[in-house]
Order: sequence, then C-alpha cells, then structure tokens
Amino acid sequence: MALDDDDNPALAAPPPTANTTPATPDAPAEETAEDLLEDEGAAAQDFRVFASLFKKNTHISAQTIRKGEKDFESHGTQLQADTLEQSRAAMQEVLSYTRIHNGANLVRGWYFPGWWADYEEGEEWQDSKAEDGKKERKPFGHIRDRVVILEGSSTSTQNLGRAVTGQAKDRPGRGKDWLLPEEALYLVERGSLDLWWPTKKFGEIFPPPPAASVEGEAPQPENTDVGPSTQPTGASEDEEDEYADGFPLSLQAAYALLIGLDGTRGKISLQKFQVYSNLKRCGYNVLRAPPNPPNPNQSSYRLNITIKNFFSSLLPSFTPSPPKSGPLLKPGLYRSYNQIFSQLSLIERHIPSPVLPFPLPSIAPYEIHFLVWKSSQKWTKLRHPSPDFYLSVVDAQESEVPQMEEIFGLLEQTPWAPPKREWEGNHGRLYARLKNGWRNVLMAVVDHGVINYMRWGEGGFGQERIYEMFDGRNGSYRGGKRGGRNQRDGVGGVGEVVGGVGGGGGGGGDRRKGEKYWLERWRNRWIDQL
Amino acid sequence: MISGSLSSFFVMYKTIQGSFFLTFFTDQCCFKMATSTSTPTHPPVRISLIAGRYLVFDIDAVMVLRRSFGLCGVLTGTMPQNPTQNLFLSMPQELRAEEARLVVDRGAGYVADEAGDHLRLLKEMSSGVGEKRREGYLRELREKKVAAKRLFDEEKEAVRRMHEGKRGKGKKVQKVEEGGGGGGDSLFETATAVQPAPKEALPAITPSTSNAMLDPAGTSGAIADENLPEPSAFYRELNKRGYFTTPGLRFGGGYSVYPSDPFKFHAHYLSSCYGWDEKIPMLDIVTSGRLGTAVKKSFMFGAEREEEEGGKKRGEGEVRMFCVEWAGM
Repeated sequence: MALDDDDNPALAAPPPTANTTPATPDAPAEETAEDLLEDEGAAAQDFRVFASLFKKNTHISAQTIRKGEKDFESHGTQLQADTLEQSRAAMQEVLSYTRIHNGANLVRGWYFPGWWADYEEGEEWQDSKAEDGKKERKPFGHIRDRVVILEGSSTSTQNLGRAVTGQAKDRPGRGKDWLLPEEALYLVERGSLDLWWPTKKFGEIFPPPPAASVEGEAPQPENTDVGPSTQPTGASEDEEDEYADGFPLSLQAAYALLIGLDGTRGKISLQKFQVYSNLKRCGYNVLRAPPNPPNPNQSSYRLNITIKNFFSSLLPSFTPSPPKSGPLLKPGLYRSYNQIFSQLSLIERHIPSPVLPFPLPSIAPYEIHFLVWKSSQKWTKLRHPSPDFYLSVVDAQESEVPQMEEIFGLLEQTPWAPPKREWEGNHGRLYARLKNGWRNVLMAVVDHGVINYMRWGEGGFGQERIYEMFDGRNGSYRGGKRGGRNQRDGVGGVGEVVGGVGGGGGGGGDRRKGEKYWLERWRNRWIDQL
Repeated sequence: MISGSLSSFFVMYKTIQGSFFLTFFTDQCCFKMATSTSTPTHPPVRISLIAGRYLVFDIDAVMVLRRSFGLCGVLTGTMPQNPTQNLFLSMPQELRAEEARLVVDRGAGYVADEAGDHLRLLKEMSSGVGEKRREGYLRELREKKVAAKRLFDEEKEAVRRMHEGKRGKGKKVQKVEEGGGGGGDSLFETATAVQPAPKEALPAITPSTSNAMLDPAGTSGAIADENLPEPSAFYRELNKRGYFTTPGLRFGGGYSVYPSDPFKFHAHYLSSCYGWDEKIPMLDIVTSGRLGTAVKKSFMFGAEREEEEGGKKRGEGEVRMFCVEWAGM
C-alpha cells in the first residue's frame, strides 16, 4: 500500500502523517476510500489530510500505540526506532480526531456566563414520589455557577444540567436546562455538545414563550432558523443565517472560558475538572457538593454527648489505675485474659461516635467538593439516595499531607458510616471493620493531571479488643496440652499473630492457629511470672 | 531526625557500607542529546496558561514537543472516539510550569494567557471590530465541515457498494424466478449511485484548537518570560541529557524519569530534587528508596551547586545526582 502511494504523485505530495504509518490495522478500509478518490486528482490530497481527522479509528487501541513490550533502554537499533515512530504516528493519528456532530445527536449549548449572576439560591421543593404528598427538598442547584444553556437534550445530557424553576412565565429560556462548567466541558470533550458563543442577546436567541398556551410543555425554540439541522442548507445566504446568532467554539476556547481559579463564579479549577471527568468516564454519577452542607452529625445530639462526657469525666473510671511505682498488673490468680488486658490498657483510645464531641470546621482545601454515586438505573439528577462517596480534590504541589484537625474537619462533613451489621461480633471480619472505619472520605490528589485517589477513614482500633476472643472461644483453660508444640521463639511472634488473624476472613484454620499461639505464649509467660 | 546534605552524601559515597547501594549518577544511560535550540522548523508552540495550569491543545505542537524536546507531558482529556475509558486519554496535554518555561527558553514557543486572550478575541468578533477574524474563522470551519461531509458520504457509499456486491453474489446463487424483481432493484440502486446524494445539512464541528481564530504565527496573549517560574536546574539537566519525565507522585517521588519516550521504555528512576545545602531527611531516602526498588526503579536525588562568587547564573551551576537502590542483603 505504501508503494502504491509512492507511485501516485498526486497522493504522495504533502505527507499527512497518519497515512505514512505502515500497515495500520485499518489499511483495507482506507484503501477502498482511496480507490474511490484516485480519479479526483488534486482535491484528493486535501481530503486525505482531513480523512484522518474525522475517522473514528476505534480499532486503534492502546495496544497499537504501545506496540510490543517496553525495552529497558535504547540499543540504537533501527527496529527500536521504527516501533517508537509507529507508536508516535498512531498516537498522532488518534489524537488528530476532530469532534463532529451529525444531525441526529446534535445538542447545542450557548455560553451565557452572566445570566444567573444575581440569582439568589434558596431551598427548592419538589413533589415527593411517596404517596403522602409531602414535598421533598431539591438538591442544591449551584444556579449561579451555571453558565451554559442547553438547546435540546440527548441521552448524554440526561443526568446533567438543571432547569431553574420558579421563574416568571415570560422569562426567556424558561424551562431550559443549564449546565455547570464541568458538565459543559465534559460534554464538549466527549463530543456530545456543540458549544456556541452568542453574538446576540439572550432574549433574542431564546425568545420568551409567546403566550401561556405553551405552558407545561418544554417550550421549543420558535426560531427554527437557529438550528443548522432544521434549515435548508446549500445557498450561501442560509450559511450566513446559520451564524447570525453566534458561532461554535473550539475545545481550546471551551477550556479558556470554563476553567478558572477556585472560587471564580461560573468556572471550575482544572484539577477538579480532571477528577470530575475521570469519574464520569468510569461511569460514576457525580454532583458538586453543596457549599454549606447540612451537617450530617446533628448538633442536638452533640449537646447531650458533651454534657454526658463532662459528667463522666467527673466520675472515677471503673478500672482503678495502677500505683505509680508499679506493678502494672496486680499480683493474683487470673482466670481470664479480660481481667489482665483491661488492666493493661492505660492509654485512652479514640472511640468513634455518631456525633463528634466538639464541632470541627473543615479547613480549605480539605473540603468535600464532589458527591459520588455508583452508576445505577434509578439515579436521577434530582432524586438520588445519599452519596456512596464523599470526595475532596487537592493539588499535589499546593497542599501537604493534611494535619489531624484537617482530616477530622473533613471527616465531620461526612455521615456516620459504621462497618456493616453482619460484620459485628465476627472476628474474621476484624480487618474488614478496621478498614471500613466509622467515617470515611475520599481524597483525589492531582499531580499535574495524574490523579491519585486516597481514602481516609476514622479508625477505631480501640473498638477491636483482640483479647476478648481468647476467653470466649476456648472457655476455661484446659491445661497446657499443646503448650510444647507451640513453644516458639518470641521473635516475629506478634507479626504472626496479626497475620493469622488477618487471614481468618478466608479460612478459620489459620486464625485459630494464630490465636492458639498467642494464647499459649501469654499463658506460659504469665505462669512463669506468677 | 537523621539527615544529611548533598555534600555529605558525596563523602558518604566514598565510604559507604550499608544496606543500600549509593551510586554517583553519571551519564552512563545517556544516549542522545535532545535537538538543539537552533531555528525551529515548526510554528511556535502555543502553551495555554489557564488558571495557573499549562496546556497544549494542538496535536502538532504535542508531537513537536515529544519528538524534539523530550517533553511528553500528561494527556488529560476525554477521548471523543471512546469516551468511557481512562486508559488512553486525549488532548489537551498538561505540562508542568518548568516544562513550559523550558519550551519558552529554547525559543520553541510561548505561553499565552488563554482566558484573557479568548475573551478579548471573542468580544471583538461579536462586536464587529473583528469581523474579518470572524469571517476567516467561519470560513475555515465551513471548509472542515464540507470535508467531513464528503468523507461521510464517501464512506456511506463505500459501505453501500460493499453491501451491493454481497447482495449481487447472493442473488447469483438464488434462482432465476426472483431475477426480474432483483434486476429491477439493482438497476434502481445503480441509478441512485450515479445521482448526487440528496443535499443534507452539513455536520456541526467542534474544532480542537482555536488556531483559526488566532493570528497565524502570531503570539497573541503571550506572557513575558520573567513571569514564568524557573525550571529547576535538576530538571533542566535531566532534559538536557535526553530523559523524559512524568509526574512521579504516584511512585513516591517528584518525577518518574524515563530513558526516552515512555511509549517504549520503562522508567529507570524515581527522582526528587533538593537544595544543595538542604538537609535531606533519612526517612525520605529510606521511603523513596524502598518504594523505588519495589517498582524496579532506583531513587535518584540531586541538587544544583550554587556558585558562591556569583559568576554563574541560577540554572547553570553543576548538578550532582545520586542513586539509591535497596540491596536487600
């Protein structure tokens, strides 16, 4: 094929890089396209340049680009240089693609950054799905930040955008969906939205509905001359009309208009947008978190708890502290490990509770920025269950590892999320419980476009009393029957116990072995001391 | 905390006996100098500065940076051809500030304040001042649309012909009794093929770049060099030696350092940059050293010696680098 190209001077002229790639998988298809064109002469060149721009070439996968195994280092061979060049050419071909909207899936959006600038957002209510006729509160809409109005809708815009209700009937563009900057940019980027820059006023492009007659149904734009798909094309006058109201923006322009510093109205920071689109590509449903979330840890409880804490601090604790000069453990005969270990616990542990004893404000930038849901059929933008994940986005260069109060401030914005019920009392689920924590929050650390997700959990190690299971399982001691077998060198013993318990989720055998070992070791030691 | 400055490492290098290997970083792996700064054969690379981040939108510019300047950046955009995957991403490409500065210093491009520039141009274009610009932009857009439309028509035609060919074969196998109708059918189809396709609306297009709107070879919205952050001498040195770097936080360091294009090679080093007299916490070396070894990279750290007499400017002093690898003895 390459040779054929060389033979044809008309086609060989300016090398459109995509076609210099030797033997790309789509070679046969391209050949037929070329056959059709060969007699068209000079115009064909132009076409070939463009051909790579609009073809989807979906079968060029990551494998084509990363051809073969990676090498350790350059050995200066032609082969190596060729494979690298092939990869680069394939990448160039794929990335040269231009977003194109065909009649049917065309959705157009207009950039009107100032329309909602003065909007004051209060609570909005919607009819509840439940039969009791109660109204439920709509999720916070971030209306002031909505800068792109959608002209129509499609499947890809279904779960995005928000129509602003409670507007006057003669208000232009009433009932239309408005997009947040990240939603608009995400749609533009995935090729589902044609973003336009208006050259006319809002009211001229979206005239108010003529009368109350259209009320109830979504008012369609009456000026059909706006839509390029609905008008007869061909004559140049019509073309002029097509751009009478504005013109389409490039991806670059969309970034320039929609990406901004944190806190700028109608913009979103690049880091947050990268995280947003990363999650959307994965299929998650993502919404901006409301600015002042109602604290999930109700404050009425808090008062009770603090008072209770106050009183309990006055009372002497149940376990008397050991004398300062020791010994840690009162000499005597012990029949259970509980008695021993509870005397040994000197340091007060953090006990997670549904309500924190004192309020902790979140400290920027460690705040909840996005609410994330796993994809589900039932999810809609106005009705959804409580989020699956709470996400904070921070920049790798501009922030440090958060301090204790920053983590707690962040965690307090998330609801109480204790380990699952069925894990309770099951020693095998010890690590599942610890890992889950009692509250958790995700943090996306963005390092120049590379996103690292982290999960912070409020741990409750004090909740997991391992010694309790020594007594419970075996009941009373039955003498050191197998004491000899398990007599081992103490080195690495703790590690082994932990390992044994951890593996317990899968097979009980290992765990029991670990417990036994732990038990025997301690028993022998205590017997020695007593 | 146990720590030592870079100079003490140099001493340690000679007397080292421990559980890790410390090697003085020489250019044993260096094989190719990146092409020099002399007369660029490409239009200046436009690096868009948007909200403090540096982005490149033009695929040709991305290829120039990759081929001639040893910069691979990070592709961050959703790929429109396949928008539900995160493995392979598309334009724009994000550069670090020091990479952007490097491109400017080498005379290959400029950094533009994209938001300001775009707002100015767009307002001009809609107010009538920039009528010519608007026309040019729309003309280019229309050319693209026509080309796209033609491509689609050709593709449709090719597919139709293919189907026709298949159907023709199928018909040959079938008996003659269907011949009359079939013949009429194919006659009809060839007739339409000759006819020009009915005029359909041109598809809409979202261009990847605003190049058609900007002055060709102009540097509109360019930001003065001195307003851009200096690259560290450490990074400059790596780039000079032909190494590619990507953000390295994911592996526990400042950069991942590749011997050449990451398409073909694995990263050799995980690197961090320090000040010459800065105390390097031992914990950094242990954690990054171990982490690096776990992912088959060695931990490289270094600094630039600041000349006391002030004879050399920043970024021109000697850069010294060390590698640490866990020996696991």
